[in-house]
Amino acid sequence: MNKTLRLVLAGLLVWLAYGILMQAQADRKPVVIERAPLRFIKDPNPSFSAVAVDSESNMLVVSDENMFRIMEYDRRENTPPQARLSEPKRIISGTNTKAEMICGVYIDPKTKEIYALNGDTQNWMPVFSTDARGNVAPNRALNIPGHPFQLAADEDQQLLYMTIQSDNQISVYRKQASGGEKPVRTIRGNDTRLEDPHGLALDLKNRLIFVSNFGNGNVRGTGGRYGTFAPPSITIYPMEGSGNIKPVHIIQGPKTLMNWPAHMAFHQERQELFVANDADNSILVFHASDEGDVAPIRVVKGPKTGIKSPPGIALDSKLGELYVANMGTPSITVFPVTANGDVAPSRTIRGGPAGTVGLMIGNPGAVGYDTKREQILVPN
Amino acid sequence: MHDVRYDAVHDEIVVPVPYAQAILTFRGGADGQEAPIRIIQGPKTGAIGSRLDVDPIHNEIFTYTGNTVTVYPREANGDVAPIRVIRGPDTQLKRPYGIAVDPINDILVIGLNSNFGSDEPITVEDTESLEKGAILIFNRTDSGNVKPRGVIRGPKSGIIRINQMQLYPQKKLIVGAMPGVIDSMEPDSAFLGVWSYDDNGDIPPKWKIPANDRTKLKKPFGVVLNPKNKEVIISDMRNQGVLVFSVPEVF
Repeated sequence: MNKTLRLVLAGLLVWLAYGILMQAQADRKPVVIERAPLRFIKDPNPSFSAVAVDSESNMLVVSDENMFRIMEYDRRENTPPQARLSEPKRIISGTNTKAEMICGVYIDPKTKEIYALNGDTQNWMPVFSTDARGNVAPNRALNIPGHPFQLAADEDQQLLYMTIQSDNQISVYRKQASGGEKPVRTIRGNDTRLEDPHGLALDLKNRLIFVSNFGNGNVRGTGGRYGTFAPPSITIYPMEGSGNIKPVHIIQGPKTLMNWPAHMAFHQERQELFVANDADNSILVFHASDEGDVAPIRVVKGPKTGIKSPPGIALDSKLGELYVANMGTPSITVFPVTANGDVAPSRTIRGGPAGTVGLMIGNPGAVGYDTKREQILVPN
Repeated sequence: MHDVRYDAVHDEIVVPVPYAQAILTFRGGADGQEAPIRIIQGPKTGAIGSRLDVDPIHNEIFTYTGNTVTVYPREANGDVAPIRVIRGPDTQLKRPYGIAVDPINDILVIGLNSNFGSDEPITVEDTESLEKGAILIFNRTDSGNVKPRGVIRGPKSGIIRINQMQLYPQKKLIVGAMPGVIDSMEPDSAFLGVWSYDDNGDIPPKWKIPANDRTKLKKPFGVVLNPKNKEVIISDMRNQGVLVFSVPEVF
């Protein structure tokens, strides 16, 4: 057999083998592994992430990020010590609701509609009527990209203000906006000092926006984006502000005790700003005019308070009560607005057994395994 | 934070922080509000993606920004530029999301997200007409505008988007979490899939653990392997939990 013929035959064999391999891959039938898991790590209790209160209707609305629920309790509820938990008056939950990782809730003071803000995994803010319950579609839903965290309303102007984490932005929408409607204005840019904004509260009298920032900076430089770490802060802007504006003042520094400052609430008459200080298991209270590296005027913290990893907070200014949503234990704890130090709550609404510690698994986008310690690592 | 990697060689934990465009390295066993031992961040570093992987042998960290794969020195600390990038039209990189490196067989695998997550509202029905994700297979040391050595994409592959991936060098396997359509809270099509390094084209996985009542999976986002116990460990977004499966046939 001459050399050329041998080469042709060898090439033909390679081509045939490759063709057979490709066909075998394409015709592959997957082996379907349908068996129950050996182990299943899941928190059986709710993980309360946000709270809103309306004393006129005795509505207390909370979001549960663990089981993707919006729950309404009577605001006067107080779980007896011997009870396993308090049952909510209604639950909104399911795949039709457009509600999943709900990190912000708001009750319309007139219609009593519930506004629910998805912070992650879904780009929607569904709005539910007073009779909504179960796996229902919302009355309307607004598409909000970029991971919002807290919303507050200017009812006179019929506007909604919200923080947008991933864009370091404040967005202002029409209150009745739905679908793909765009914000009427935004505050955004390097000069704003917005650094992973989370909480947002409005001083409607002095027309100011208070924003809490975790401190994860995202600088838009001439060569592209890059990151920075800064201490947590509260930045303050005029409510009519727009674009790349500087804050009118900033609260920031070690005296502030801020550590993951999350939801905020503003007490108009007292001119006080309440901050859910998530990573410090505390509630901080600042005066509206505070500026720079200033200590809080009150701190609610300690074992008697029952406060554990609190992202959510709401004020009932009329009745002088402060509501705290705890993710570290399945409870809402209620305090007088004047509470200070290690004080017991005046009421506790539990969604699980007393003393339960929350797993706090939230949107586990990945998982790792420490082979040395035989431990599973779950980022959230 | 959408990734975590344990570097067993150096007993370190490495995580990306996309909100601060940083890569943080902690000592193994770090607990509480402990500071990282190294931070990669700054103008030279640029933007950081949501996911990464560590090559503890060649001392490199792989991540991405936009449609560019970036490689940093593992032991870098401070504002350092990438030592290599993969980008350009030949790479087919479009919305990379999953990433995994095999330092033994010199393989780099990138999972592409589908054309979802835009600023416009997308319905579940819309997703049928949108571009689906894929798995791109590169050589570990590839650089510049290079073609992938393999592309797994198409309806038989079942891939809509790929989240976290792990590689199993001993059997040259790609293990990827395929959570299905973003806007569908509990998509029927979600699964954990296992492909081979040699797969190329519209190829079904060799093994798959589907999301259903039997497996309890709903929306797998993350995966890690425990070869010692022949286990696959899966984080599931819709379960807000972690499921551990015994799969000796894969190992």
